[in-house]
Amino acid sequence: MIPVISIAVFLPLVGALLLMALPKSSSKFAHTVGIIASALTLLVTLVIWSRGIVPGGFAQVEEVTWIEAIGAAYRVGVDGISLPLVLLSALLFLLAFIYQAKSGDRARSFVILMLMLETASIGTFVALDALLFYVFFEVSLVSMYFMIAGWGGVERQKAALMFFLYTLLGSLPLLLAILGMFLASDPYTFDMRVWIDMPPLLGVGGMLALIAMLFTFAVKIPAFPVHTWLPAAHVQAPTVGSVILAGVMLKFGTYGLVRFALQMTPEAFADAGTVVLAVGVVGAIYGAFVALAQSDLKRMIAYTSVNHMGYVVIAVAIAAMATDPKMRSIALDGATLQMISHGLVTGALFFLVGMLKDRAHTREMDQFGGLLKVVPIMGWTYILMAFASLGLPGLAHFPAEFQIFLATLNVSPWAVISILAIVVVAALYLRSISAVFLGETNEKWSKMADLDRREIIVLVPLIVLTIAIGVAPSWLLNLINITTTSMGL
Amino acid sequence: MIALGVVIFAPSLMAAAVLLLRKWSGLLAVAGAALSLVGSFTLLAAAISGTPFIATLPGLPGMPLLLEASQLTAVLSLMVSTVAIFVMIFAVGYMDKDPEKPRFFATMLMFVAAMQLLVLSADWITLLAAWEMIGVSSYLLIGFWHGRPKVAGSATRAFLYTRSADLGLYIGIFILIGISGTSQISTSLATTGTPAIVGGLLLLVAAMGKSAQVPLNDWLQRAMAGPTPVSALLHSATLVAAGAILLIRIAPMLPEQTLIVIGLVGGITSVVTGLIALGEKDLKRLLAASTSSQYGLMLLAIGAGAWVVALLHLIAHAAIKSGLFLGAGVFQHSRGSTLMSDIAGAGREHKKVFAGFALAALALAGIPPLVGFFSKDAIIAAAMSAPGAVWLLPLGLAATVLTGAYMARAVGQLWRGSGEEVKPNSENSNASSISPDMRWMGIGMAGPVFLAIVLGVTFVPLEEMLGKEPELSTLAMAFGLGAAVFGLLLGWFFKPKQLLGPLLGWAQNGFIIAGGMDNLVVRPAMAMARACNVVDQQLYNLALKIGNSMMSFARGTNIMDIGLYAAVLAFGNSMMSLGRVTRFSDEKGIDGAIFGFASITFATGKLARLLQSGLIHRELALSIIATGILAVGLIAAPMLF
Repeated sequence: MIPVISIAVFLPLVGALLLMALPKSSSKFAHTVGIIASALTLLVTLVIWSRGIVPGGFAQVEEVTWIEAIGAAYRVGVDGISLPLVLLSALLFLLAFIYQAKSGDRARSFVILMLMLETASIGTFVALDALLFYVFFEVSLVSMYFMIAGWGGVERQKAALMFFLYTLLGSLPLLLAILGMFLASDPYTFDMRVWIDMPPLLGVGGMLALIAMLFTFAVKIPAFPVHTWLPAAHVQAPTVGSVILAGVMLKFGTYGLVRFALQMTPEAFADAGTVVLAVGVVGAIYGAFVALAQSDLKRMIAYTSVNHMGYVVIAVAIAAMATDPKMRSIALDGATLQMISHGLVTGALFFLVGMLKDRAHTREMDQFGGLLKVVPIMGWTYILMAFASLGLPGLAHFPAEFQIFLATLNVSPWAVISILAIVVVAALYLRSISAVFLGETNEKWSKMADLDRREIIVLVPLIVLTIAIGVAPSWLLNLINITTTSMGL
Repeated sequence: MIALGVVIFAPSLMAAAVLLLRKWSGLLAVAGAALSLVGSFTLLAAAISGTPFIATLPGLPGMPLLLEASQLTAVLSLMVSTVAIFVMIFAVGYMDKDPEKPRFFATMLMFVAAMQLLVLSADWITLLAAWEMIGVSSYLLIGFWHGRPKVAGSATRAFLYTRSADLGLYIGIFILIGISGTSQISTSLATTGTPAIVGGLLLLVAAMGKSAQVPLNDWLQRAMAGPTPVSALLHSATLVAAGAILLIRIAPMLPEQTLIVIGLVGGITSVVTGLIALGEKDLKRLLAASTSSQYGLMLLAIGAGAWVVALLHLIAHAAIKSGLFLGAGVFQHSRGSTLMSDIAGAGREHKKVFAGFALAALALAGIPPLVGFFSKDAIIAAAMSAPGAVWLLPLGLAATVLTGAYMARAVGQLWRGSGEEVKPNSENSNASSISPDMRWMGIGMAGPVFLAIVLGVTFVPLEEMLGKEPELSTLAMAFGLGAAVFGLLLGWFFKPKQLLGPLLGWAQNGFIIAGGMDNLVVRPAMAMARACNVVDQQLYNLALKIGNSMMSFARGTNIMDIGLYAAVLAFGNSMMSLGRVTRFSDEKGIDGAIFGFASITFATGKLARLLQSGLIHRELALSIIATGILAVGLIAAPMLF
């Protein structure tokens, strides 16, 4: 068997190494390498998808011994939760490369960073060895730091540092938890599959490990109140940086919440479920309200991420607390689907806002008005994606949020109060549509150009998938469901 | 299966065709509605013959999507497609010169498709999906002329009102699915006890939002910003109808306690919005308030335990109200306005249209043998025999009087008044850009009016089909007819000011209490948003402050170091980088602090300086070297063990 998962992980890195070896490459060459490498990676991930997964564990596992004495090895594999995230990452990276292709700003360095980030991202989702996971998790951080610091807005350095400090300090507790579980496992191993099958830490130890992991993932998700790095980072990050940050990297947090916190310390999580649930509920409502107060489009969308990721936190907490396996699988289906939907929809929204900023050099919504007449393609795409983001049926977020709220009401009814946020999110998106695209056209922008072919190519896959998941979610949910019904928590 | 597909997908496919071809959009729309109509007839025929169409589609795990054309839902489907086809025909004329015609017809078709999906849905997820799609379609249609001032506001308001109320639908559905373990509507209606009471009330909230019941009523009157055919469609058979349809469908589940609440909400709405209609200065807004009032009567019937009667009135109202709106559209064209003062006397210029309008008005008032007589009579009869008759009957009769009064007033104004043709104002009227094709508009209006005259004869077989014994109560008939005639006379001979007295101003204001929803909901929500935003700034600053305190700690250590000669050398480097950082961060105090902290912890000050110099390749090389060291270390690790 060809080790396709490893190929998907390291193919982007090969592209990066190639560019490093050719210091004189032109912008065009660099972008070409980026697009080809990421397109091939996407193809390989489709092969992974076609090979399928199995219930009750990981499929297509590839394993190479590394440090035998401590049970650390190179282990990768996929299940119904990680595979959709891998596909999402590969797609978003390809689109990001296409979007970026017109930029001549230090293209070679940028592409190298992006390709390294892609390896780290896919690696994080497929790693089945805790050490390997941690390495990928940290490397992604470094790449994103440089992307913000090197290609960001006016206050990029402050934002980059904030990002770096928060997430680096934030990830130290995870390392402690990993070491704790390593020491408690017998024989010593870093094999995540072993830790999932037989949680090594129980009782107080389990609770401590859970707290440590929750801290790390809460920063990454980001959950209230440790989310403040996110808007700062988004506002300063370049467009593709925001797309990858929101679309892929936030999912490290929620993925970790499921893979580590829920699966490796299930008992402690069930005990602490209410606390986590409360964090999710507060984050969902709070994020929506703060987003409503924003006038900068990108900041607004960044805060809706706090809201949407809050729903994922709620869903995972509900899954931990549920006694009925049916409700648990509904909650986890919803959580996983919500991660994917958020990646597609928020990715598209960040692209759109970037496209608007490219033209107008501002993102303040009050500066616009009546743009739907001037740039109809951009306007209608924004309207579609805004409705997707506010959870309209027929579009990607609806099936996810429906399942999340359904499980929530039946496991912990009070938490369904978080559904109030969907009205707030609706209000803020309609407000942004009104302010930017409806009403009388602001003369200043009457010559604005509509989306060009490259931009449309970037958006079309996201639109198609958003509708496909919304109208017939079963093609994706059935995949996720294989794992969520057989996790045996 | 095929007929179900045709009913729902013919309009959707035609919508796609309209958008792709961008021509013949009106004809394609009529064709889409016609196909849907044929499909509806097929569904009804099959349902009557006892072999209803059913379809199962994959949905969420364990919760498939279901469609079913039972006798009830097939009748509703037929109602939707009937109104749709006449409105589309009318719109061919009305929208003839509008440059954005394809977008209009495509959205209208989507609206119809979503409504068909709603009435035919047999599981809660499909129903909820269709419910929200209807909300979006109406948002897009109310906001059709989005370049005009205030239009975006009306559309946004309509969507947010109904979406807020939709939370009731979401939570109600979650309760029913959770209790019954299935998302199939028919099975989940077996729910009893507290869940049925609470679930029913939650669904009532959703219905109140869509059917514009007090206090969620004012969005509907403001929704006049869209083209007139949109109003005709959404008031009669789509958006507003969805609320009543939901309650009709769950009626078998509703316990006594929930029913009485529904009846009272409906009764109060029918009177309050009836008064608003009477005080209105604008014909279209009058018709809109009347819609709320008539749906109030339907809720009253449901509350009285007679959902079949509510269905009859729904059907009667669909025919009547679409006719009235389409007629109003004609007068609007001739005068370029819908203000009562401007269209006064317009009926004498369009006698045929006026005759249709007047017939529809009499039908709504409840004059025999027009359709409204039968349904209103049945409502009065139901109210009389209901447990809550003491409340429901007076409310129902008062609403009937009011109906007669405001319709007589509208008709009187159109015939007797004298008004000048208003110069079409390009901002506010539709007439400026559109020259109506009167023939299309005439056919479109004649259809519903014809139905409003004859449809009464179908009611007895309809009741029998749905399993209700037709009731004949002379007392109810006398009450109903008396109230209707009394109302008509009041409206014909008296001015609103004489009838309403001191209430007039308040009624014209929509009976707004405490500043209405704007003061009660929107402002607090915005205040909450701003408060959260301030909290968020504070959280951000807190993070910076934590950095700051660590920084002073480090600085303190450094000062001690100065005293301790031996330590100076050891910490010299950190001091130097600190100095550089402070200089570089333009003495911003707290801002500088985080950089200082950073430099000490990670020596990032140096990095930042490198970045500042713009030599990206150096910092890149640095990261690669760091990664390389990490990699070598990790690979070399096995040798240590």
